[in-house]
Amino acid sequence: MNYIASTGMLIGIYVILASSYNLIIGYGGLNTVAHPIFFALGAYTTALLGIHTGLPALPCVVAGVGVAVLVSVVLALTTLRISGDYLLIASLGFQLGLLQLVNNFEFTGGPAGLSDIPSTITGAARGPAFLAICAVLAVSVLLAIRRLMAGPFGRAVRAMRDDELACAALGRGLTSIKVLIYAFGSGTAGIAGGLYAYYYQYISPDQFTVAQSATILTMVVLGGIGTTMGPLVGAVVLIALPQAINFLHLPAGVVGPLQGMIFTSLVILFLFLRPKGLVGGSVGAARLA
Amino acid sequence: MTDPVILLQILWTGLAMSSYYVLFSVAFALTLKVEKLWNFSQAGLMGIAFFAMYFSVQGLELPGWMAISIGLAVTIGVALAVQVFAIEVLRRRKSSGLTFFIFTLVFAQLVAYVLTVAFGTDPETIYPSVMSHVRLVGGVAVSDWDIRAVLVTCGLLAVLYVLLRGTRDGQFILAVADNARLAEIYGINARRAYLLSSVIAAVLITAGIYLYGSRAGVTPDVPIGLVLTAVIATLVGGVGRVFSAGLAAVGLALLQSFSILFIAAKWQSLLLYAVLFGALVLFPRGLGRMSIRRAPRPPAVAALQVSPPLAGE
Repeated sequence: MNYIASTGMLIGIYVILASSYNLIIGYGGLNTVAHPIFFALGAYTTALLGIHTGLPALPCVVAGVGVAVLVSVVLALTTLRISGDYLLIASLGFQLGLLQLVNNFEFTGGPAGLSDIPSTITGAARGPAFLAICAVLAVSVLLAIRRLMAGPFGRAVRAMRDDELACAALGRGLTSIKVLIYAFGSGTAGIAGGLYAYYYQYISPDQFTVAQSATILTMVVLGGIGTTMGPLVGAVVLIALPQAINFLHLPAGVVGPLQGMIFTSLVILFLFLRPKGLVGGSVGAARLA
Repeated sequence: MTDPVILLQILWTGLAMSSYYVLFSVAFALTLKVEKLWNFSQAGLMGIAFFAMYFSVQGLELPGWMAISIGLAVTIGVALAVQVFAIEVLRRRKSSGLTFFIFTLVFAQLVAYVLTVAFGTDPETIYPSVMSHVRLVGGVAVSDWDIRAVLVTCGLLAVLYVLLRGTRDGQFILAVADNARLAEIYGINARRAYLLSSVIAAVLITAGIYLYGSRAGVTPDVPIGLVLTAVIATLVGGVGRVFSAGLAAVGLALLQSFSILFIAAKWQSLLLYAVLFGALVLFPRGLGRMSIRRAPRPPAVAALQVSPPLAGE
């Protein structure tokens, strides 16, 4: 039961992460790979407040979301002048720089991370309870993004993605749209970080590296970039399939790299066989073909 | 700490250390210039080249020159395979920059995972010992490795310069880099130019990782960090300026070396990432692009227009 709950939690967290990332990169067309750092900021802020203040879980998670939103606004405002590949590389530098800070500061636990994160739910019901919370949040995020993108704001976001100049000529404020997308997407990643910290009770910089950027990015792309259900499908496929290796009873040191091999092989396979993603076909997906 | 000998020592060590950064940066910048591709798969090539040489020396007990030959052959082979079976397919499909980015990054990760399964995560060096004979020159310690690294790097860059500027294939590569479609109209085989630039990059990468791996330990995830330094140097040097990327790599290596005078070693990486982010945000076309306003140079294709032998190509 614990194994199923843990895998389910991981899927739920990645659904939240991939969906919020899809909002930025898929709907907004903002090519950034810094999403894991907002996941990390949410997780670290939640964990630090939980450990040092003894506050209940909700305010800690809300604070985590706040920090993620604040930092995302900084990223959005400083990178307004650049787009495309340049934004991609700048966001990579931003992500690695902040991660280096997390890695070097003592109060974040350095490379060893934080391990004494309090358990908010205890007992046999812990796994199912967390799973239920995570599922509710994941579905809520999917519905919220779907609703947001179906309305006038969503149309403005897609217009900006398809033609910035035309969108600006129609009187739309591109700066405010970009900042809002970054803030909403990154704040949602902060929620995922809070959940992650409370469930696994251990976080370290290793969990938020460039590899994590690639993982979330490929979930979005394989599922179908610019679609609501794509990130859900991508997260389920890419988390569930590599889990099969756990049943082969291989040495612990080999399981991780083998899972990584399966994961990356699947990504490359899908990239060539299904370039528009498993739920592809939208205008957003056409960006990738 | 302001003792001139210490400063000279830091300068020399920084210069010697910059050798592999220069080779990686020039390889990365060349691919970006010619193929318009941020090729993170070069991290995978570094890993393959290193472990091919490591296995040849320490597993098969082959002499160094043979290990280098094997490393070179394997790396060129993989580079060409990636170009033919992946990059060309994506290029034919007119895939977006994001797709290329994902493919190259994921390929590098796949290689790292395969190498982890095969060789583990302990740092390895090509030779059992990384010790190198050291002599004092005016109070500055100069090792055999330092001299070898500087000579190999200068030699390879000189060959590359002659190849690009003095040979027809080099001019074709520059023409394709300027405008691939126009170059093809003039009868230049763009595919050949892409393949050739891949081979050149593979040679530079093999040389660079040989130098790195004969001085420091390499784990399968080290190359990703090395390729990021190459990205930073390429951006600082100015996109499209291959040799400026090499110069920028020297500057970055010296910045890292001298930074030990005022910041702790653990913050040195942060300095690099700050340069990367700052360079992109403030000077999106590279520092080299904002210094001097000069008349635009005629593209290589235009220069080739007056070259009669082209007609038959």
